[in-house]
Amino acid sequence: MMALLRTEAVKQARRPRTWVALGLMAAIPIIITFALWANPPQLGREGGTDLFYLSTHSGLLLPAAILMVMSRFLLIMVAALFAGDAIASEASWGNLRALLARPVRRERLLGVKLSISVALAFLATIIIVVTALVAGVIAFGWHPLDLRPFAPAQSVGTLLGHLGIASGYIAWSLTSIVAFGFMISTMTDSPAGAGSAAFGLYITSSILDNITAIGVIRNVFPTHYIDKWQSMFTDNVASTDMARGALLQVGYIVVFCGVAWWYFRRKDIMS
Amino acid sequence: MVTGAATLSDTSEPDVGEIVVSARGLSKRFSSAVLAVDNFDLSVRRGEVCGLLGPNGAGKTTTLRMLLGLVHPTAGEMALFGQPVTPGAEVFRRVGSMIEHAAFVPYLSGLTNLRLYWEAGGDRFEDADVETALGVAGLGDAIHRKVKTYSQGMRQRLGLARAVLGRPDFLMLDEPTNGLDPQEMKAVRQLLRRVADGGTTVLLSSHLLSEVEQVCTHAVVMDRGRLVKSGTVAELTQSAVSAYVEVDDPDRAITLLRGVPGVAEVVHDGAGLSVRLDGIERWQLVDALVRAGIKVATVTARHQLEDAFLGLLGEETVR
Repeated sequence: MMALLRTEAVKQARRPRTWVALGLMAAIPIIITFALWANPPQLGREGGTDLFYLSTHSGLLLPAAILMVMSRFLLIMVAALFAGDAIASEASWGNLRALLARPVRRERLLGVKLSISVALAFLATIIIVVTALVAGVIAFGWHPLDLRPFAPAQSVGTLLGHLGIASGYIAWSLTSIVAFGFMISTMTDSPAGAGSAAFGLYITSSILDNITAIGVIRNVFPTHYIDKWQSMFTDNVASTDMARGALLQVGYIVVFCGVAWWYFRRKDIMS
Repeated sequence: MVTGAATLSDTSEPDVGEIVVSARGLSKRFSSAVLAVDNFDLSVRRGEVCGLLGPNGAGKTTTLRMLLGLVHPTAGEMALFGQPVTPGAEVFRRVGSMIEHAAFVPYLSGLTNLRLYWEAGGDRFEDADVETALGVAGLGDAIHRKVKTYSQGMRQRLGLARAVLGRPDFLMLDEPTNGLDPQEMKAVRQLLRRVADGGTTVLLSSHLLSEVEQVCTHAVVMDRGRLVKSGTVAELTQSAVSAYVEVDDPDRAITLLRGVPGVAEVVHDGAGLSVRLDGIERWQLVDALVRAGIKVATVTARHQLEDAFLGLLGEETVR
């Protein structure tokens, strides 16, 4: 198991696409920081107290602000790309048959590929947070937040704690998308198709979630609770919706990974 | 070679070698309309170099994929070295394979591809026969280049290198000379003879009958998923004696030979005639021509396996 994990990790580490995707995760926070530093937002200009306004008063809040925008599009897209690529890229190269002609159990390969996909999605989140934190502290300083009455006061420790929880929550919220992309990846030889399907799930879920008329059904969409971490920074309150969101992911992971496992074990490897 | 009656635990023939590959009643149906392999029996013993022959769509590659656990059979049973074939089975540690065109991770070097392929199975690269593999690949410094820069021939050679990396007891190759130039094809034939001499059993799928004739000790002919015939190459070609003759009057010779009992077929073939014999010897053919006053410039035996193959497929079509 460890040998297979190591070989798969080496494959990802040496893949130019991995570096481009993770490099993008590092570059965008720097660009956003520079833009904020060059043109700081004014209170109320964007329609209220938002995270970007708060982050110009403490660099410790900048990672949260950047996570907020990146977790709505680019981070999801990168996670979907990694997941969709997992099995389908090996199949598209024709290398899957060579790999499975070795004494490598399919379940084991699935487990390793899924672990690598999840690890890359988590790594992408960590890179955003760390880059934004460094850039934020350099641009706006290492301060507690005290902007009462516009926002509750938060110490450096509280801010760092919230940042850690938010990062973990966002990374965990990606797992249903990753699991879906991974499931499709076992079914197709097209990595782009599998990645697109995963991103499509996110888009579809987000669109449906905006239709309030469909009521409580929205509560089971995988993206329904994805932004619920933001109250920790704006209101200094950890919403119970975060726990619901985290639990909801488990259901999707079990279903999508279960289907992937069932399908891949029975699949005829033709490519 | 034993087929048909051979069983997975057949021990009734103690004078022959260990059964390396054994398949009985193997079938694969991809859909209601596509029966790729139909009740196919196969048995390959240690030390044999067995050619798997058949036209396109005969089911050769599907059979090899089933033997590697890549494709699930619809019916039947199969074993390698007496152990049932299941996906990812430990017995694959003793098997080297190349199915269809050789494929690799394109952005990694040839050497890294070999290393990762080998280590994925939990083995140490240092324990592999890297020297032989690199010799087979014959890529020189290009082994450190990314595979995506390789030509098809280079990839194919790297695929063969990957197949022999673990000093396999059993080598399964699907069209191994595809994409190779004549010199490289010759090198592959020499490699196969060398590994066979070293005791490795080989199952080789190929559409190049001359290649099979030169390399294989045994052959299995399949068509439309079914076993047509199997045996030693000598047995298969025995019933298909043919000759190439060059004469001074080909048209008259054709008319004459078509009336000679024991001549199955006569056709123009370049400057001469290709004659398939069924019951007479080549000297009798020459005798008939000379007696008719036709001058014979050349007589050579040729394309024996090809004739046998075409004859067998012809019989199968008639059936």
